[in-house]
Amino acid sequence: MSEVLYYFLGFTAIYILMGWALYLPYRVGQLHFLIVACMAVTAYFGGFAAREWGWPFILLLLVGISIGAIIAFVFSQAIGKAPCFTVVIVGLTSVFIVKTVIENWELLGGTIGFFHIPTVKYLLPIIYILLLIVGFLIYKIDHSRLGRAASVVFVDREVAVSLGIDIKKLGMFFQIIACAIAGMAGILDAFFVNSVSPEFFTFSMISYLMCILFVGGYTTMWGVILSAFILQGIPLLFPSEVASWRQVIYGALLVIIILIRPEGLISRKMLWGLKPKFSFNNK
Amino acid sequence: MEIFIAQLISGIALGSIYVLLVTGFNLMLLVAKIIQFAYPQIVVISMYTCWGVLQLTDNKFLVILAGITVSIILSILSEPIFRKITSTQGVDINASFIASMGMAMIIMDVMSHSINYGFPVAFPPEWIGGNLLSFGLITVSKGQLYALMGGIIAVLIFFYLLYRTNQGRFFRAIAENRYAACLVGIPIIKTSIFSYFIVGVLGGITAILFSMLIGSASPWLGEFVALKMLAVSIVAGLGNLKGGLFCGLILGILEAMAMGYISGSWSNAIAFVVMLVIVLIKPQGLFGSRI
Amino acid sequence: MKNKFFRSFSLPLIVIGMILIFSFNIWGQEVVVDEWRIPFLNCVTGPIASIGEYMSWSANRAAEEINAAGGVRGKPIKIEIIDTGVSKDKAMEEMAKVVDWALVVMGPVPEACIMAAVPIAVKAGLFCMISSTSYEYTVEYFPWTLSWYPPTEEKLPPITAAWAELHPDMKTVVQFVEYSIAWPPMAKAHAIGLESVGVKMLKDVDVPTDAVMFEPLVLKALAQNPDGIVLTCSPEKAAKIIIELEKKGWEDKSKILVFSSADDTALYTTGGKSLDGISIYNYINLYLDDPRWQAFREAYKKDHNGIEPASLSTNYYDSVYMIKEAIENTEITGDPSKLGEERIKIRDYCRNVKGFKGIQLTWDMTDGVPTGKGAFLFVLENGEKKFLAATK
Repeated sequence: MSEVLYYFLGFTAIYILMGWALYLPYRVGQLHFLIVACMAVTAYFGGFAAREWGWPFILLLLVGISIGAIIAFVFSQAIGKAPCFTVVIVGLTSVFIVKTVIENWELLGGTIGFFHIPTVKYLLPIIYILLLIVGFLIYKIDHSRLGRAASVVFVDREVAVSLGIDIKKLGMFFQIIACAIAGMAGILDAFFVNSVSPEFFTFSMISYLMCILFVGGYTTMWGVILSAFILQGIPLLFPSEVASWRQVIYGALLVIIILIRPEGLISRKMLWGLKPKFSFNNK
Repeated sequence: MEIFIAQLISGIALGSIYVLLVTGFNLMLLVAKIIQFAYPQIVVISMYTCWGVLQLTDNKFLVILAGITVSIILSILSEPIFRKITSTQGVDINASFIASMGMAMIIMDVMSHSINYGFPVAFPPEWIGGNLLSFGLITVSKGQLYALMGGIIAVLIFFYLLYRTNQGRFFRAIAENRYAACLVGIPIIKTSIFSYFIVGVLGGITAILFSMLIGSASPWLGEFVALKMLAVSIVAGLGNLKGGLFCGLILGILEAMAMGYISGSWSNAIAFVVMLVIVLIKPQGLFGSRI
Repeated sequence: MKNKFFRSFSLPLIVIGMILIFSFNIWGQEVVVDEWRIPFLNCVTGPIASIGEYMSWSANRAAEEINAAGGVRGKPIKIEIIDTGVSKDKAMEEMAKVVDWALVVMGPVPEACIMAAVPIAVKAGLFCMISSTSYEYTVEYFPWTLSWYPPTEEKLPPITAAWAELHPDMKTVVQFVEYSIAWPPMAKAHAIGLESVGVKMLKDVDVPTDAVMFEPLVLKALAQNPDGIVLTCSPEKAAKIIIELEKKGWEDKSKILVFSSADDTALYTTGGKSLDGISIYNYINLYLDDPRWQAFREAYKKDHNGIEPASLSTNYYDSVYMIKEAIENTEITGDPSKLGEERIKIRDYCRNVKGFKGIQLTWDMTDGVPTGKGAFLFVLENGEKKFLAATK
């Protein structure tokens, strides 16, 4: 397989995971950027443990998932049902705090970063298997009572409460799952890139993830997949003169999509249209 | 003590810029029901305009005029976009946040691509002005005084407009209840466009004061400030104008103190830790959200 | 008779044979490419786009000069600027694209991109000519990279020591340090140099990356009553700190030392007249009396609004020439079937080149580490750098 394709597929998969991690809490209307902080923490932890202590990849994967879940559990106690922008600011500040801690930590390479993380054989297939598992999990969640409850919360919190939905518990659940996925993505990222640096986890990553989620569509899990492939592919397909305006293209895409297809490229209605099913009179 | 007073002065000057930014941001949030995340970027573009005009002429009046005009134009230009978003989706402030984030990305990248080769622009010393007062290390520069005075005057006028004029009553009515305001015959769209105009003026003033205070502008300045603006407005409580005044000023001072007294390279994390703790304890903000 | 006949012809035959073999050999070494495509993973968008701009500019200038003089082994050289931004995945994908065909790659430029993309080149056995960053980054990937600068702890202490020796009354120094990329280690090296000549280092002042206001930092520094200041932070920030120092009544500006990475266009566009009198160290001597350098400088100024070449502006210019030399001296053909060995030839040549004539100075490389490459100390007078000292 050509090298470009290898990295393209690898990154796309990692971004799909992160996109899903952003997608899940947004089911209840929360933009949860804490996932980026979790990713940074586990990427560093995974890189360090693999290089210095020789921990095996599988163990690290499990540890990464647990670290993400634990971080999310602690935070979700406070922001389980917080409004969207409170969650936004918790996420943004924690990304900056994590970065500052890393930059001051000599052991982790400080501002320079951490090199020579060992590679794992068959990493790309492993990533895609994990992607399938996570995708299946999310599909199941989406089509369970929890998913339907989340949709109600997204549309109207008061109605949700009157239906007996515990918004806080639901929010906590989605946040924990999201951060666990992000924790896993962090480990995968460290092994895939073979180095970590504080420069990897910045505001531009957050805006990129936003792009992936909202261009693709935030109402279903499929939108993330489509837009991750498109957005990751744009710079590769176009000549470098065009590709160097990448940020402008992403920004414009975001504005245009919000204007003409507010629910993103793939919306839930569109999927209904694809499925032959009993008539369901919406409105 | 000398150092402390000097730190306080510089913190207050920076705080008044945050106050102006947060006020404009909150007005957008209350009246137009949008999160205008690109607002600091508009301010930075307006700073660039001032710089550009300064290259051509020394006439300060023209410079100020140009800065404010560009800010107003950009602000009003964004109105149809946001109106489309809010009209197709009901009132969805998340969508406006995403759209304005897209705008911010575009503005920032255009600046780093095309203006002055992407280098930061610096305002001439005549524009910034020197020290007005100095006792040892305690100095008050012209930029600081203007930032503070300009901030106070602009905010006073703004609050006068909001609480003592008909237009202001419209604003508050819409902020309180959009549908009720519509029912009693308040022209929603006209008032909304007017709020964009006001925010444009505020943005222009902010740009001029900011350029006098810090003396330069760079493509990524908007991003640095945008995060703090968002943080302040959330810590204060979204849409809470008075809370924004207080928290903006406090953030300026906190930042100055943290930079001045906290050792290690932790100082930029301190402001964020404080915000994080406040938000975790009081998710609705210190003064309560008005949204 | 027969014997004699053969004997009399044997010598010419051998000669002809040798000529034939030799010329076949020449044919074997003939260039098979129409042009030398050299990819340059650069950063022309995003927050450090301005740095990427002049790096592209100088690489292209070198290529134009070389092509005007007949190219490399008769074929033109073409620098293909590939933008990576500051994004690691973009850099990796672009690197993955070029590992299939490139003889040698220049860049990447941003440190995050180096960390992410160079392992791919290492895996593929492709040499990365990274000449914009410090030793700490490139040494991790030896022998597939080279270090453009000597190790930080060797190269920097002499220059700060030289600066301190010019100001014998300077007993205490405060350093402003921005926690970004390789700057903290550089700050450490500055301190080592100053302490070696008996200067006392006061507590560092840390410059937050997202700072917009610098008065608090300057107050913190001045509260310690320093005699001198070292600025280890981004150019824009350094300029603003100098302006603040001026406002706070700092008098002797020659006791402010700006480090090399801050000696960039942004320093001058931001600092303006306030910079007059400060000390700067870097790796290019603007007033070098050399026609090639002066032509470069004039062209640079013409294309950059009259701004003088920045400290890093010659790095990729020299890199292109070094690649040219490597191709010529190791008789690279560009034949895709010999890609692997030719890459190694270029690598080994560049990492151990002796007496390489850069546009500024001539130096040797030993196993990827340069020797004989010093820094220059200047004082800024009326917007012009005045040469003070040089180190080896």
